[in-house]
Order: sequence, then structure tokens, then C-alpha cells
Amino acid sequence: MALTDETDLVRTEEMLLNVGPQHPSTHGVFRMVVKISGETIIEAEPVIGYLHRGTEKLAENLQYSQCIPYTDRLDYVSAMLNNYSLVHAVEEAMGLEIPDRAEYIRVITMEMNRLASHLIFFGTYLLDLGAMTPFLYAFEEREKIIDMFNELCGARITYNYMRVGGVKFDTTPGWLEQVDAFVKRMKGEMVKYRQLVTGNEIFLARVHGVGAYTTEQALGHGMSGINLRCTGYNWDLRKKKPYSIYDRFDWDVPLGSAGDCWDRYILHMEEMEQSLRIVEQALQQIQPGPVMAKVPKLIRVPAGEYYSGIEGTRGELGFYIVSDGKDKPYRLKIRRPSFENLQILPIILKGVPVADMVAILGSIDPVMGEVDA
Amino acid sequence: MWTWNNLWHWAGHPLSWPGFVGMLVGAVVILLLALLVVMYSIYWQRKFIGWMQWRIGPNRVGPWGLFQTVADVLKLLVKEDVIPANVDRTLFLLAPIFAFVPAFLVLSIIPFSAHHVFTANIGIGALFYVAISAITIHGVMLGGWSSNNKWALIGGMRSAAQMLSYEVPLGMSIVGVVLMAGTLNLNGIIAAQMHTVWYVIPQILGFIVFVIAGTAEMNRTPFDLPDAESELVGGYHVEYSGFRFAFFMLTEYVYLLAMGGLMATLFFGGWAGPFLPGWLWFAIKIFIFFTFQFWLQATLPRIRQDQMMSFSWKLLLPLALANLVITAVVKVLV
Amino acid sequence: MFGFLKGLGVTISQLPKKKVTVMYPEEKPDYPERYRGVHRFIPELCTVCNQCARICPTSCISLSGSRDENRKLRIETYDINFDICILCSQCTEVCPTEAIVMSDTFELASYTRDDFYLDMHWLHNNELEYERRHPDRAIPETDVQKKAGN
Repeated sequence: MALTDETDLVRTEEMLLNVGPQHPSTHGVFRMVVKISGETIIEAEPVIGYLHRGTEKLAENLQYSQCIPYTDRLDYVSAMLNNYSLVHAVEEAMGLEIPDRAEYIRVITMEMNRLASHLIFFGTYLLDLGAMTPFLYAFEEREKIIDMFNELCGARITYNYMRVGGVKFDTTPGWLEQVDAFVKRMKGEMVKYRQLVTGNEIFLARVHGVGAYTTEQALGHGMSGINLRCTGYNWDLRKKKPYSIYDRFDWDVPLGSAGDCWDRYILHMEEMEQSLRIVEQALQQIQPGPVMAKVPKLIRVPAGEYYSGIEGTRGELGFYIVSDGKDKPYRLKIRRPSFENLQILPIILKGVPVADMVAILGSIDPVMGEVDA
Repeated sequence: MWTWNNLWHWAGHPLSWPGFVGMLVGAVVILLLALLVVMYSIYWQRKFIGWMQWRIGPNRVGPWGLFQTVADVLKLLVKEDVIPANVDRTLFLLAPIFAFVPAFLVLSIIPFSAHHVFTANIGIGALFYVAISAITIHGVMLGGWSSNNKWALIGGMRSAAQMLSYEVPLGMSIVGVVLMAGTLNLNGIIAAQMHTVWYVIPQILGFIVFVIAGTAEMNRTPFDLPDAESELVGGYHVEYSGFRFAFFMLTEYVYLLAMGGLMATLFFGGWAGPFLPGWLWFAIKIFIFFTFQFWLQATLPRIRQDQMMSFSWKLLLPLALANLVITAVVKVLV
Repeated sequence: MFGFLKGLGVTISQLPKKKVTVMYPEEKPDYPERYRGVHRFIPELCTVCNQCARICPTSCISLSGSRDENRKLRIETYDINFDICILCSQCTEVCPTEAIVMSDTFELASYTRDDFYLDMHWLHNNELEYERRHPDRAIPETDVQKKAGN
């Protein structure tokens, strides 16, 4: 028998590889079942649910103010934005007027939190790619943000800071100056990150053209945030459907073009700079005043269905409230961007090497607390 | 006629009992020296990388954490020896030995000082290094294969591919030096450099190839794919624990020492240098090599498998060959 | 081409930088006044209004009290099941007399679950500890009596 094909020579088999739920690069308890042939992935199937806590169901038995600490635990690296998204949805539904100072503090804390979250992305992404030092530099800066939040609201990760109608505390004396000093310092750090990572040839070779998808694919999978903007689609809720006081600041939406890991990485870095710009302007504009609106002691959302989405760190973070007029939501549906973003994984993982698997997963930047809710 | 002299210059004499004892003593001394160097190179690695990352590194065990690695080694030695149920038992037990014996063997030809006090002054030193160090690949491969673990298998496979493909440019870059010195004897190469300049200057191309290929050969960053922690959760030694794991660890760091010694010998004049004693010069040169490796480790991300392979075959090998041709042509003309 | 050399420059230039490591068990982090650590409880101030138990999202607080000879409510038991407490600080927010407040005790590891069942005695001790640690933050004795008298 003539051997015509190379594959006839050696019998090869595909191998089923279980990645996670305990794996250093799955960013939490995420599991992927990948079928590999050599080092090439043929098929990938994400398995989620290891961190499911039933937040949506729990919320049905909780008053609106009691729901807030639970939102801290969704996307636990940007809890301020989760807090805000819930209280914003309730405020919209109730038609509350929020004091100016409260809005400014909210914007400052949210953008700082976005910065902290992107710093985590930067650090852990480089760690996934094998570089150890950027992780520690990034976490040191994040530590400074967290310490400031600690002083402001008494917790480092689970802030529970936003309230329906405002924020829990006014800033402590000297807090805004601390933020100002941090913003100045952070600008220098950004230059350092560029020198350390962005110009590195090995890094560039690892991320360029890896894990690319098109705008159609991204929209088709309901992706949002940086994962959508990296394809060149201009969609930032802070610009498109301005909420809070984002229309008072001058800033840009950075856009990618290729939709690959490099675009996602560089957009994170550029968004950090835009966040710094917003914080800087907010610090100049903030005025003394009350931080809490007049709200009834027991918050009741009028009967009906309400949705409000904000631009979370990872995409559109939305809270859908179905209310029957009581003090507890009849149903609370949370649109978690990480969950939506993760859905494209089986498609872009097809045909890539195992080494790129962590690069792609890391660039999508999912947080498991949010995926599983 | 036996004299004290042929205790140290046993290579040219028939084997005698005192000569045999001398070899044994030499081997043990080198073994202990290697262990000590490995322990403190790990300590220095953790301190140095820590300082670059705004940390202070080990600081609990002993003054300035000096005994941290000693404690770590002791812990590994007294740990329960776990052999997973479904491993290929024989190969699983053999693999660390396969990896670790050649690592110590290559030390036997490194000239730590002007006189080969505890090491062998053999005529084919450079060739011996390349030949013996290649055996380690088998240990790593067998470790990955016999572990019956998919991660270990991928790690072992990557490791074999990587070490094989970087062996070639490594050997080629050494040939340039050998051509210039006209000898394979490492002490002869040092002597040749004493007459002229350090070979790092005329052999700069070969030196670059040597450093890159050597780094890849040792599985160090940015070529640490076989034990890529964030992808393969440890690679070929993922199923090993206790002192078997310590063997793999030891192999890695002993190779660091050996490669540093080889580099100092081939390109930086070995033990030769003014004022200071020869062994100190050698130690300084190796220390700088260590520090450079740790510096790379702190800075660079990991290269990808396919990129690494094409880098070796498409860039390093042609470079090494070009270096070889240039050296040969210059040697003939001058 | 040689962008990685810049990176090498960055890492080596950090060598003389001040180290950020906190030598933890010997040197404890200084937490701000608003820090939400384990609760502390001041029994004299409690009016047994039960608001904390009702607002708690995880229902980890249980308390009981009775009327004394002056027909005034006195707290008898106050327990926090720290297994399920999420340190959200809602209880301190609703407390009208600031009888339950957060402290900066943060070392929560323990060998048994029973240790997480914090009773009134423990919580009051925590308050005394807190006052000892932060004499400047303690409520003056007279204020306590004034509030308790209300």
C-alpha cells in the first residue's frame, strides 16, 4: 500500500486537556475543556459556574439598599462601578435628583476604580505572558488606589460606598489632594509601563494578530467595552448615552482596528490615561456641598420595569429591575459584561497554539465573580 | 613512581589508588561547591529580583534571610516522597537522575582556577560539555513522559524540541572560539586569550548567539517554556515533589553555574585577570552572568513555542554559521 | 528593534527605589478610622431597637433584651454569626445610638467555626481593645452616658 499522506505514517490522536478550574491563568475558577492536536487547539469549550452565588435570586429577598453589598462581589476588582450601576438604576426608576458633589465623588471613585481594574489587567496579563515584574509595579499602584478607597469608605475591595441618592460618606479632609498627587504620579508610571512592556519585541510578537475577531462577530456575541472597541466600533456608553456627569469632561474614546490582543492591551493602557484625564478635570470642578439627596428611609421603586446600563470596566454593566412597587425588587437581572464577552472564546480559540490560549483569555479580561454572578 | 603531582595530574598517568581517592575527593568537593553555589544563587536571584520589584526578598530565616534556601532544601529533602499511582514507575524514578547526573558531570571540566585542582584537564573540554549536557534532555523528556500527566507531557515535548534546536547554534558558536584558539582544551582557550584579547571582542557575533542559545538551553526566561508556569502549571516536573523535584531544580541551577563557567572561559578569559587570584576572577565573572540571567528573568515575557523554534533555526543558526565562516576566513588570511 | 533594552533599563533603575514591603506580623498596617473590621459593641448605648438585625443582608445578627425596673430596654444577648457576616457595615449605619460600630480588628483566621460566633462579651471586649489602641477615637465617657440616657 502506498503511503500517500503524511498522516498515514504515524497514527496521531487528539488529546483532551482540562484547563482549570484551578489553573494559574484562568483568572479565577474558570474551566476550559480543550481538544489539542500537538500544541494546536482544535476545539475549546468553556465551562462556567464554579463561582455561582445566586446574586440575582438573593436580591429578590433583599431591600434595594441591602443589594448594594452584593454588587461589590460581582466584579470584585471594580466594585465601585457595580455599586453605581445598581444605585443608578434605582435612581433612574425613582427619578431622584443627585447632589453635584455626590456625582463628582462618584465619577472620581469610579474612574479611579477603572484605573485599578485596568492595572490588574496590565499586571496579570503580563504575568500570563511570563513577565513577572510589571505585575508587582501595577499592584503597587493599585495598592495606592485601594488605600485611598480604604480611607474614603472603609474597605479595600468591597466598598459598599454608593447609596441610592448619593454616597455614604463625604471625602475625608485631604483625600482629594491625595487623589491629585496620585494622578500626577500615575502619569509618570504610565511612561514607565510603556518603556517596560509596550516596546518589548517578545511581547509584541506574542500579542500582534493573536485572537483577532471582527466587529460583526463581536456584536453578534453581545460583546461590549474594550472587547468591542478593539475592533474599531465606537461604542462607549459614557459618550453614547451619557449618564452621571460624564458630559462635563473633555476626553476621548480610544479605538482599535484589528481586534487582536495587541489592540485590547493598548486600549486598556490608553483608557487608563483617559481615566486620569477625567479624574483630573473632576478634581478641578468639584465643589463643596451635600453628598446625599433627600430620599425616603425605605426605598420603593414604582411598579414597572427599568433598565439602566453603564460603561463598566469590562463593558456594558446593566441592572434590569422588575418592580412591583415594594421595597424589594421582584426580579433583578444583571447584565454582566464578562459573561457576554466570554462567549466568543470557543470561536477565537480554534486553531491557535496552547500558548496563545492564555494570551487570548487574559486579553478578554474576564472576572469570574461577574461571569457566574 | 607516585608523587603528589600526579594526584592532580592524573589524566596522563595510569590509575592508582591515591589517584582514585584524589578523584573521589575532587568530585565530592565540586559537588559541595555546586550545592553551595546553587543555594546562594537562588538566594541572590530572589533578593535581586525582589529589589527590582520594590520588595526586600527573603528576610526571615537567618540574618538577611541568608539561610532561606538552606531551609527550602531541607524541606524538600524531608518531604514525603510522593509517586503518583499511574506513573511509569521505573522511568519516573530514573528521570531526575538522568537530568541531574550530566549537570554535575559537565562541572568536571570547568577550570575554576589556573590549575585544575579538583577538575579534569581533558583535551576535548568544549566538546565534552556539549556532548554531556545533551543527555539532560532525556531526563526532562522522560520526566514529562513518565508522569502520565498531560501538562508534563506538553512540557517535556516542548523541552525536547527546545533543547535540541538550541544545542545546534550553541555548539556552532563554540566552534568559532575553538577555531580562534586552535584547541578544544578549556585551559588552552584561556591561555590563548591571555596572549591576545578576550574572545568576546573578536567573537561578538558568536557571543550573542552563545548567550541566547545558552539561555534557551537552560530553560530560563524568556525561553522558560518547558516549565511555563502560567500555561503549563510547572511543565515537565509538575508531578514531582520532594527530593526528586529538588533534583530537577538542582539541575537547572547547576547548569546555570556550568554555563556561566563555560561562558567566562570561552569569551571572558576564564580565571585570567590582574591583581586578584584566579578563582576570584572566575567567581566574579560567573556572578555577573548570574545577575544578568536574573535581570532578564525579571524583565522579559515568555516567547511562544513556534516563534522560539523559528528563531533558533532561521536566525541563530545562520548567524552562528556566518560567524564560523568569518572566523575561518579571517584566521586563514591573518 | 531593541525595545526590550529599554525594559531592562527600567527594571535595573528600580534597584535603589524604596522598598514597599510591610513586615507584616511585626509591623501592622495602620487602618483609617472608617475602616470596616470586626464589629465592636457598646452595651450601655443599645436600645434594643432591632434595626441592625433587620437591615443585615445576611441576617447574621441576633439579639434579645428585656425591660429593667425603669421600664427601659436593656440588651441581654447580642450575637453576630461571623461565618456569614459580609462586613457591609449596614448595621452601624442604621444604629441610632452608635452602639454597634466597626473596629479595625482584621485578623479573622481561626481553627474552628465556633470562634466566629461572636457574642456580646467578645464584641464589648473588642470595643475596649479598640479604645486602648486608639485613645483619640474613643467616645468620651460623658457622651456615652448622655446617649444612653436618651
